[in-house]
Amino acid sequence: MEARARVVMRRQLAQPATTVPGQDGLPALLLLDQSAQIEQLKRCEPLSELQVKELCLKAREILIEEGNVQYVDSPVTICGDIHGQFFDLVELFKVGGWCPETNYLFMGDFVDRGFYSIETFLLLLAFKVRYPDRITLIRGNHESRQITQVYGFYDECQRKYGSANVWRYCCEVFDYLALAAIVDGRVFCVHGGLSPNVHAIDQIRAIDRKQEVPHDGPMCDLLWSDPDDIQGWGLSPRGAGFLFGGDVVKGFNHANDIDLIARAHQLAMEGFKLMFDQMIVTVWSAPNYCYRCGNVASILELDENLRQEYKVFNAAQQDARSIPVKRPPPEYFL
Amino acid sequence: MLPPPPPRQSFPDGDAAIRSTDDDAAHARVSAVRKGYLKDPYIQYLVPRLHLIPTRPPLINIGTYVRSEVIDKLMVKWLDLLDESSQAQIVSLGAGSDSRFWRFTDLPPKAKIVKWIEIDFPEIVAKKALAVRKHSKLSEAVGPDLAIEKGGTVLRSSVFNILAVDLRGEPSEALQPLEVLLSDGQPVLLLAECVFPYMSPETSAAIIRWFTERYSRVSIISYDMFGLGDAFGKVMRENLQIRNIELPGVDDNPTRQSLEHRLHGCGLSETNSVTLKNARAACFPGPEVDRISGLERLDEVEELDLVLGHYSITWGSKDETGAAARWRVE
Repeated sequence: MEARARVVMRRQLAQPATTVPGQDGLPALLLLDQSAQIEQLKRCEPLSELQVKELCLKAREILIEEGNVQYVDSPVTICGDIHGQFFDLVELFKVGGWCPETNYLFMGDFVDRGFYSIETFLLLLAFKVRYPDRITLIRGNHESRQITQVYGFYDECQRKYGSANVWRYCCEVFDYLALAAIVDGRVFCVHGGLSPNVHAIDQIRAIDRKQEVPHDGPMCDLLWSDPDDIQGWGLSPRGAGFLFGGDVVKGFNHANDIDLIARAHQLAMEGFKLMFDQMIVTVWSAPNYCYRCGNVASILELDENLRQEYKVFNAAQQDARSIPVKRPPPEYFL
Repeated sequence: MLPPPPPRQSFPDGDAAIRSTDDDAAHARVSAVRKGYLKDPYIQYLVPRLHLIPTRPPLINIGTYVRSEVIDKLMVKWLDLLDESSQAQIVSLGAGSDSRFWRFTDLPPKAKIVKWIEIDFPEIVAKKALAVRKHSKLSEAVGPDLAIEKGGTVLRSSVFNILAVDLRGEPSEALQPLEVLLSDGQPVLLLAECVFPYMSPETSAAIIRWFTERYSRVSIISYDMFGLGDAFGKVMRENLQIRNIELPGVDDNPTRQSLEHRLHGCGLSETNSVTLKNARAACFPGPEVDRISGLERLDEVEELDLVLGHYSITWGSKDETGAAARWRVE
């Protein structure tokens, strides 16, 4: 099978600089290679360390061109935290349609907690490289060197590749991910929430984002903050970012001419949670989070008129592959 | 008296699974100590191969910390409320690898603890008795009259005793060895840390009643899961079933209040309860909250609250002195 694929590639090589219309003039050979990688990753088969390195390099080239606040056109399907739950991500694509047929916006937290952070992030990254205009990835608080060393992604890379190289390549990509996105100028999408230092969306554009997530400041807040039933701003129990109330959301949406803030970051047992007169929504896309929480997940489909449809889905059926054999079941206080 | 039958035959199948929950608790404690949440100079002697135990995620460390500290606080307060002439008697059911006896020995004496009796499966008793014999840090606190009997399944001393008992047996027989150790008229504190969930509600009620019907001053601190009828609980049962662990004692406890009702039904009048979720929010002073939140960056509060919201510490007393009304976590 591998041999046949190689023959096809050779034939493509013989044709000078073939391009496929509508794909930014990328050579067909490269596209074939990328499509094969996507198929491999869809089967949850990891790439070689060299392949990861190359994929991450290509991804950086694409992401570096994106703004801190990436413009996205409707219709688009908005997704929240995935957290390495690869087979649930496949479930998500079955519900929402695969990329590139469906235009996707993922609001971060691709890695940590689940068993398949590498396969999850690389599949999304492979889509990004292959169909850069059909998928937008923005950064979550877990796309960070520090956090991934506590919550599993670092250990998973060590375990599956025997070194931290793959983790390093991925972390370099994290630094290039956009901090936010805006759909048709009306729906502001961010992983965590607002910052007391950001009143206008244009202020986000001034951030130098190509760095590790700082411990405080606007970049940190965008990735760590949570809406809460308070007035104004409050201290976050997470130890990073802030809590912000309905008045803050109302003010921000009004000042920036926004209808809705879509964000992720917080487990929502029903898959999504609208707050403050539907001015902000939490979208959560990791069903039965950590294989323990029993929650459903959702994706938010925005049509060309920005009408919202929430599609709720359950965890993938547990089969032999979805939970590794040697892995102990989730922990409780027994 | 005949020697006890070999441990492997003495309990029905599935007990190994219940015994394994002691490892969960002990290993979580090791992790919480390693990360600086708890101080415990004794756990290293009670848990073998410490260095091979992986550090647990922050959620488990925090929950372990809250559970351990709140029970400690309640015990300290209980001892505090006793008058000087009282002689405290502690009975810890399913104590496993718990280091509490040694940690409380280190505390400045408030009321005198004259008896500390731990009860568990023979396999666990044997393990603990061996650890006490092996490590002078443990045996010195127990005292010079330390004796290990019945093939290692009984540890005796004037204060500290460990007995192998199947708590699911008829209490009048199973708990009979306690009668010679406990004196009526003096306060008894029962500690049941995640013991009742593994037995039927009838069995746990019979155990509590055995104490309240025999002794005039009985208090209990019980730590249990509750409210497992929801989606979280369903997944929890499924996950534990993979390990062969069933929770027959939880069906009757949809709420925290139902756990208090259980105590009322067993002759304990003054009852109280707190979920680990609420305890985390309310039972710790500001500087301690700051210290804990500085140890590890917690990424997810909703998940923590969801998990901690399914565990309760419930306490109650049968006591004529009136002190029970003042028994609170502080």
